[in-house]
Order: sequence, then structure tokens, then C-alpha cells
Amino acid sequence: MSELVHIDGAPRPPTSPREIVRIAINLTIVCALGALVLGGIYMGTERYQEAARLASERHAVTELLALPADATVLEVSQSLDPGRRLVVYRAKPYGAADAAARVLVFGLDGTRQPGAPAAGATQSLGRFFVGREHGVDAGFVIEGETRGYKNRIRFFVALDSTYHIAGVRVLEHEEDPGLGAEVATSWFTGQFLGRSSEQVSSMDVTRDPMPEDWRGALATLAHEGAAAWRAAHSALVTREDAKAVYAVTGATISSRALTRGVRGTVEHFRRRWALLAPQLGGGQ
Amino acid sequence: MSETGDVREPGARELILNGIFAENPVFRLALSLCPAVAVTTTVLNGLILGVAVLAVQVLSSVTVTLVRSLIHPRVRIPVYTIIIAVWVSAIDMTLSAFTPALYAQVGLYVKLIVAFAIIISRLEIFASRHPLVPSFFDGFGMGLGFLLALVVIGAFRELLGNGSFAGIPLAPGKPLLFFALPAGGFFSIALLMAFFNWVDRRRGGSGGSGGPHG
Repeated sequence: MSELVHIDGAPRPPTSPREIVRIAINLTIVCALGALVLGGIYMGTERYQEAARLASERHAVTELLALPADATVLEVSQSLDPGRRLVVYRAKPYGAADAAARVLVFGLDGTRQPGAPAAGATQSLGRFFVGREHGVDAGFVIEGETRGYKNRIRFFVALDSTYHIAGVRVLEHEEDPGLGAEVATSWFTGQFLGRSSEQVSSMDVTRDPMPEDWRGALATLAHEGAAAWRAAHSALVTREDAKAVYAVTGATISSRALTRGVRGTVEHFRRRWALLAPQLGGGQ
Repeated sequence: MSETGDVREPGARELILNGIFAENPVFRLALSLCPAVAVTTTVLNGLILGVAVLAVQVLSSVTVTLVRSLIHPRVRIPVYTIIIAVWVSAIDMTLSAFTPALYAQVGLYVKLIVAFAIIISRLEIFASRHPLVPSFFDGFGMGLGFLLALVVIGAFRELLGNGSFAGIPLAPGKPLLFFALPAGGFFSIALLMAFFNWVDRRRGGSGGSGGPHG
């Protein structure tokens, strides 16, 4: 390996075309081998990765709904059939992969269409979960997505049976640690708690400093359950829930992105659920 | 340490101790200080990232020493980078599949290992010029030195910043929150570096670490 020496400082001899070809072949082989190794590892771990993702999602849904163990959860996935201008909903018990789904089809104008859709190219429009206790709807968890500062932010919004926000949890994001990533922490998402879906529709973001008492209350949220925390700080929650969300200092874009995402997700869900509740809703 | 290494290959014990003490990547070579500050807010984060770095360092050193005669010298740095990237991605996928809870905490930093100065510098300085066995122990010693440094810094900062050790609270509240913040991280490393130099001087060593290299 004596050629190694002249790389540092000493003048290099001109590279011959033959040399360039050798370098190109060398690099190509290295990249191909690397791709082969990674492909193999991906194939070996994909299954476990998917299982881990499902388990953490399931954990998040149950925790956000905060329902007793005997409650049932209905998973509703929505997809768009752009060719035939139809929106298709598939509802089935959560976690039962092989259970038959109940299929409901609506036109884009919200009118119910008879019959089942033909299998074809559809585009997923996200999912939501309905928690049901003794046959009555007890809460909802809606999957949402928004464009963050760097990449998409995927999150869950939980609503209680009166459509007040019961929790917001960021599932995936690539925001900067210490800045945009702060929107995933409970002191930021705690600001959404207790807002009614009407208040959410007019919810905005402010760069004003957060009042000290509100900051102090939000800091304790991580150690308490969302419901217990709301009860303990009801006066502050009522004072703040009609106000704008306080942005994370230095991360206004990420703060706006998540707030906008939560607002859009809740509004969209209310419109969908107004159509679906008569078909899928439990009692009352 | 002989870098030409043609006369006599250093032994395993010598190489491992070299990585932990004489050429400790963080306290002596002052390499990869940014990630060392970023992840060491708790001892557990430091430990996990340390283990990942150790694995990447050993795997990359072994790979480079095995294929060193096949690599064209003009493109050796890109090839090292690809080798490191492959192993980092492999560990990244494995962690996310089998330890999703840990991955949620340190996943962001694991990807950054690709750009750790310590790994590529060991490939260039050592693994590309030495046979398999010494390269393995050099990678192992350097990785272990980095791991131990991260654990020590993490323990120091968690204890002072959060009043806890490995998540177990030992003191009420947050005694000196400053040490959990990034600026406190640099101070922690400086204090520990000074301490290691002091110990080294007392033991009659040369003392003093090199300047920062990245």
C-alpha cells in the first residue's frame, strides 16, 4: 500500500482513462455489495419492524382512549377511488387482521352509494379508531399527518365523546432535536387538551411568551394522566383553551405545522363522522 | 503507537488499553465531541449509543482490513464511508426492529454515526495498514474507549443535571439543570478531560490531550 503516501500533499500523476475505469468498477462493486448486505438485513428485519410498529401504535391508541380493558375498538380506514369519485370506508374490530370489514361507500358530495366498490386503485386517506364502552361511543383516535419543517409529522389526535381533545401524540417526525422536536413533547401537545372541536377550528399559533403558571402546569403533565391533569388544572385549561397555542421558541414553523395538522384532522373527522355515525356509531 | 507497524504488530491488550486510556477518542483525541455532547444527557442514552459505535467501529475496521488490498487508493475515503454507512444502516434497522422503545430515543443519533470522525480516522490510520487481528482489537479498543467516555459523561451529567442515575432518582428536583443542557455538556467534557489529564500526570504520564479535530 505504498501508493497511499502520495495522496497527502505530493503532486499526483495524471489519471489515465484506464485508471478511471478501474476506479469506477471498484466503486460500483463496493456499492453493489453494500446494497446486497442492506437488502438482506432489510428482508430479515422487516417483519419485526412492522410488528414493533403495530405494537407501539396499539399501545398509543389504548393509552389515548384510556378505556377499560373490556372496551372494544373499531378501526375505520378511509380510501379514495379517484377514478369513480368515491370514498370508501372499511370498518372492522381493531387488531383482528382477518375479520371481515364492513364497507361503506359515499360519493364526493356525501351521499351514500349502494353496493360494494370494485377492487381497483385506491388512495389511502388515513384511519381513525372508535372506542366503544357498553355499546356507546366513548372516544375517538384519529390518525393525522402534516408537513413539518423537514419531513412529514405523523400524529394521533384523541377526542372524547363530546369531541373535546383528550390527547395529541406525535408518532413520527424528523424535526431538529431541541427545536422542532419539542412539538412532540407533552408540554407542547398539552396545550391542545380540553379544546372543543369548535375551538380547534379557530385555533392559531402565537409567538408570545407562555405565561409562567401555564408553563408550570404543562411541565407536570408528563407525570400525570391526561384526564387527571385536566381535572387538576381545570381553571388554567379553561383560561387557555380559547387562546392561541404558544409556539416553541425558535421552532414556529414546526409549531404551526402541528397545530394546523391537528386543526385539519379534527375538522375532517367531524365531517366524516357526521356521515358515518348513523351507520357505525354506537347508541345515543 | 507505531503507525507504520511493519516491524511488530501490537498485542490485543496493548491496543485495547490504548483505546481506553492513551488515545481515548473523547478525552484524549477530542474526536466526535458533537455527538458526545448531544446524546449524553443520561447515562442510558450514552450507553446505547456507545454500544452502537463500538459495533460499527469493530465491523468497519474488520471489513476494511479484509478488503484493503482490493480498494483503489484514490477512492479509499468514499469506500470507507460506504462501508461505515452500510454497517450503520444495518444496526439502525436491527435496533428499530428489536428494540423499538430504545430506538425512539436514540434512533436519530444512530444515523449520525456515519459521520463520526473517530470511526473513519481509525480506518485510515489503522485498519487500512494492519492485518485482521490487530485491526479488530484496535477497533474494539477505540469503540470501548468511546463507549466508556459516553457512559462517564452521561453519568456525570445525569447526576448533576437531573439528580438521577440511569433513570433512578437520587436527589429531589433538578440540582444543576445547566449540566443537562448542551453548554453544560461541553463543560462536563472539559472537566472530565482535565480530571483524566490530572490523574495521568500524577501517574507520571505525558498528560495533555490533543487539540480538537472535529
